[in-house]
Amino acid sequence: MERIAIVDGVRTPLCKMGTDFNDLGAADLGRIVAREVIERTGIDVKEIDEVIFGNVGQPSNASNIGRVISIMSGLPDTTPAYTVHRNCASGIDAVVQAAMKIKLEEGDCYLAGGAESMTNIEVELIKPMQDELMALTKAKTMKDRLRMMMKFYPKFININKSLQYGLWMGLTDPTCGLGMGHTAEVLAKEYGITREEQDQFAMVSHQKAVAAREILKEEIVPVIAPPKYKKAVDVDNGPRESQTLESLAKLKPAFDKYNGTVTAGNASQISDGACAFLITSEKRAKKLGKEPLGYMKTYAFAAVEPHRMGMGPAHAIPLVLKKAKMRLKEMQAIEINEAFAVQALACLRELASQDFAKKFGYEGYTGEIDPKKFNVNGGAVALGHPVGTTGARLILTMLKHMKRHDLNIGLISLCVGGGQGAAVILER
Amino acid sequence: MSISLKVENDVGYIEFDQQDSKVNLLASDMLRRLDEILDGIQTRKDLNTIVIVSKKKGVFIAGADIKEIEQIAVAGDGKAKAQEGQNVLNKLEDLKIPTLAVIDGVALGGGCELALACGYRLATFNPKVKIGCPEVNLGFNPGFGGTYRLPRMVGLTEGMKMILSGKPIDGTKAKKIGLVDVLVPEAGLADSINRFIATIHKGKIPADKYKRRRKKGLAALFADSILVRYLTFRASRKSVLKLTKGFYPAPLRIIDLIAKTYHLGREKGLELEAKTFGELAVTGISKNLVQVYYLSEHYKKLTVKDAENIRPAVIEKCGVCGAGTMGGGIAQLLSARGIWVRLKDINYGAVALGINAAAKIYKENVKKRKMKPAEAQKGMARISGTLDYSGFGNADLVIEAVVEKMEIKKAVFRELGSVVKDNAIIATNTSALSVTEMAEEAKDPSKVVGFHFFNPVNRMPLVEVVATSMTSKETIVTALDFARRLGKTPILVKDTCGFVVNRVLLGYINEGGRILEECGQMAAIDKVMTDFGMPMGPFMLSDEVGLDVGIKVLYTLEESLGERFKPVESFRRVSEKKILGKKTKKGFYVYKGKDKEPNEEIGPLLGKDRFARFDREESLKRMVYLMINEAARCLEDGVVDDPGAIDVGMIFGTGFPPFRGGLLRYADSVGIDNIVGDLERFTNKLNMKQFMPCAYLLSLRDQKQGFYSA
Repeated sequence: MERIAIVDGVRTPLCKMGTDFNDLGAADLGRIVAREVIERTGIDVKEIDEVIFGNVGQPSNASNIGRVISIMSGLPDTTPAYTVHRNCASGIDAVVQAAMKIKLEEGDCYLAGGAESMTNIEVELIKPMQDELMALTKAKTMKDRLRMMMKFYPKFININKSLQYGLWMGLTDPTCGLGMGHTAEVLAKEYGITREEQDQFAMVSHQKAVAAREILKEEIVPVIAPPKYKKAVDVDNGPRESQTLESLAKLKPAFDKYNGTVTAGNASQISDGACAFLITSEKRAKKLGKEPLGYMKTYAFAAVEPHRMGMGPAHAIPLVLKKAKMRLKEMQAIEINEAFAVQALACLRELASQDFAKKFGYEGYTGEIDPKKFNVNGGAVALGHPVGTTGARLILTMLKHMKRHDLNIGLISLCVGGGQGAAVILER
Repeated sequence: MSISLKVENDVGYIEFDQQDSKVNLLASDMLRRLDEILDGIQTRKDLNTIVIVSKKKGVFIAGADIKEIEQIAVAGDGKAKAQEGQNVLNKLEDLKIPTLAVIDGVALGGGCELALACGYRLATFNPKVKIGCPEVNLGFNPGFGGTYRLPRMVGLTEGMKMILSGKPIDGTKAKKIGLVDVLVPEAGLADSINRFIATIHKGKIPADKYKRRRKKGLAALFADSILVRYLTFRASRKSVLKLTKGFYPAPLRIIDLIAKTYHLGREKGLELEAKTFGELAVTGISKNLVQVYYLSEHYKKLTVKDAENIRPAVIEKCGVCGAGTMGGGIAQLLSARGIWVRLKDINYGAVALGINAAAKIYKENVKKRKMKPAEAQKGMARISGTLDYSGFGNADLVIEAVVEKMEIKKAVFRELGSVVKDNAIIATNTSALSVTEMAEEAKDPSKVVGFHFFNPVNRMPLVEVVATSMTSKETIVTALDFARRLGKTPILVKDTCGFVVNRVLLGYINEGGRILEECGQMAAIDKVMTDFGMPMGPFMLSDEVGLDVGIKVLYTLEESLGERFKPVESFRRVSEKKILGKKTKKGFYVYKGKDKEPNEEIGPLLGKDRFARFDREESLKRMVYLMINEAARCLEDGVVDDPGAIDVGMIFGTGFPPFRGGLLRYADSVGIDNIVGDLERFTNKLNMKQFMPCAYLLSLRDQKQGFYSA
């Protein structure tokens, strides 16, 4: 069976909302990494069969963002492109889509990745305001218009109450009505994971990310960002050298004011960033004469109750192992995305539990994860979580880590808003 | 036949199809032929519409025949020539049946005026459609009724703008201002014409072409009031004076002409127009501008001898080494023309400088509405930075713009040898260093060429294409073609120190310095040159370029061309004090925002307490004749083989005043013996060897020839 080669990949630094990438939209971030992959691999753009990008925010000025990225990064107008959306797994799904197409022999050369600018997720008008605005534009006579305006402006004078934030709406599950933070609180209560445990987890994440700052540069393309184009941003700006447990302990719960344990400090950071790969069949990679970064062995998606969305990895991991006919302990490195410290901790706990394995028929495919193999370069709590990008970012970080330490096999997984989990096994 | 009448049903089609030509020109014979056809139409009763079409692709009528205008020596002849055309177009305008011009390409000068004489104008969405009156660029006014009809049709403001700027407009704009009555797709043009003819005959369009323009709001209230007219003329005069500094008489005469004829009837209006045309067309300035036009047309299409069958290589992707102001400017220029750019420097801070420079130019273009924001965004997306040579492997052409140090340039050429593909061209943007020496380091010297841009890259229209003895014809052909694709005018020069432009210009700056040391009056010296028509005097120019850069080039020139380029003492002293020019906020002048004033630190550095009297005339001669002498040496050394190349270089590379026709055409107008006489006088009086007239000049004088009559 021919393998799926990930020839090369690159990402932007991850920058906290409203910081260095304030003036770059998701399409801009996407085309920067797409172009960089093209330049670094030296691929003839005419040879790329299709462009696939994951994105969650779906900016209205770049509808079908995959196509926008494709053209803006120099692919011919005649190359098709599309966008995939599976919330936090969008970046993974873009890569999986390319893999599936190669397996189906629809093509053998794809440019795929994820792009997200959470900074620039749109702010919308509340529905009544939108309705009246529409009516206003339809008013024919001057008199009508004046009369409606007299009514309109006083009604919506409080601008805060007239707007709704796309970012928060996107982070709220419409089927169970819970925000992502609230689903994390559900797990904290269900598993009895304390504030201290979560803060400790966050602290370690920062320490690992700070220590890895220089080595992560290997996967980063420095970005010279508008509007000033003054400096090149070349590191993730999330990890904090000065992070202490005390300062984490001081933060107020962000979602459940009275009984909550989830804070801004032990949840992932809201960030901007993009990541792209050149993905080909093994044969094609050989023809290109490039030693691929690695191969995608297999992937799996799982689904759970929406209000327990953080448990996705606990199900996706045994599923992907089963598919690959491998054991958890064979994995030489493991990344589980840290959407929330509590959610990653809950997954680790369930994976180690015999009852859980028995309940879902995962026996033989779960187990305890060695902390030395787990999220070794820090996770989203420190690095940030640009939702549509993270899945792809995990694949890149894992492959570079495997290359650095000459590992053969690695596993990445993440939880997905709406109640899903995704997992991918990578090999070299 | 060049023009023929084809009748279909009751519609007569006057078809323009000039023989043995790619375009239609409204030359005398064409006018006479049109006249005959119009006479024929007058006698016919079976036609109810006349349609004027061109059989040439992408061209309606490209203008009058400039060769004929060039021949006009007496104002009276010019007037008669204009009236000849006016009468034919009047005949067209006076036909009793509707007349329709179908514009599916360029309609310039006489072509635009012919369309204006028609009752109706139809244009297509063809991007080649360009309508305008570029006559002012040649130093005269439109003479076939353009100054009379255009302002009446599109309004005083838009009409004057078109005639005074000479810039053509596209179809959309023409429809917007009322210059054309309808815009139709190119596909199905014949049907569209028939439909439009039907609309005309239904009487849906006002018959008076000057009353079709609909005005809205305030414009409707005030458009033709005397006050608005007065203000329009006044504002035009002011902006023309600012732009031309009074060197060009035509725009001002055109404003006066329109101000007068705007109230007059057709007969008197056209009479005045023809008179003005005759007077302007015989001026020396107009004659010079016509020559400059020929030169620029020639160099835009410059070809290489015995290379007619060589096709230029396609350039889609470029690498640029060195991301300074120059590298950034080059990256911007390339990316704006659809070329993908990989910009390399030694650290990302440097790359950021280049990208910043490119972004600034894009921003300025958007601000000035030369470019849409989306175009600028797409342009910026075409530039990416790197520290290694990744992405250079598939570049079709690499431009080297690193610091002007031979050792570094050589290292870059060596490195490129192992990264670029075999057929990639490597171009150096050096301003004075030896291209041959660099080429020797390259893997394939036949692919190496000099490609010298001028600063600021986006605005200066010249590129010196430098060929070494090893450069292949293919490489030269591609380089020339590439320059044109970038919208630049190339001149082809031999690889010698300083090529043409810097060699001529640096001597001039140095001479400015020498005069300064004698008389101490910096601003006065600059003024002599700006009064002559140069955009900047020697010290303003030095501040712009940076004195350190200038001195470096002078040393390079001195080393290979001799002592005459030795930088004057005071330049060295000034640059040692780090008073370098605009980049250090002070040079010969101190810069505060937009203002500048002479820098008082300079005086004490001149090394004298008593200065000689400043002689305007003598100073001008010293600076300009020195340039002429150096230009003659370039011809003598075979750097270029044609005085035209030097004039194009000086006009497009340094802004040498076009109304003087170029440096060497100016020399011819002064007279070679006068120049040689003065140069000899300077050599003896001042005991300065740099003025010694070169052999080329002396032989011109001995043979009583000029640069162009040789």
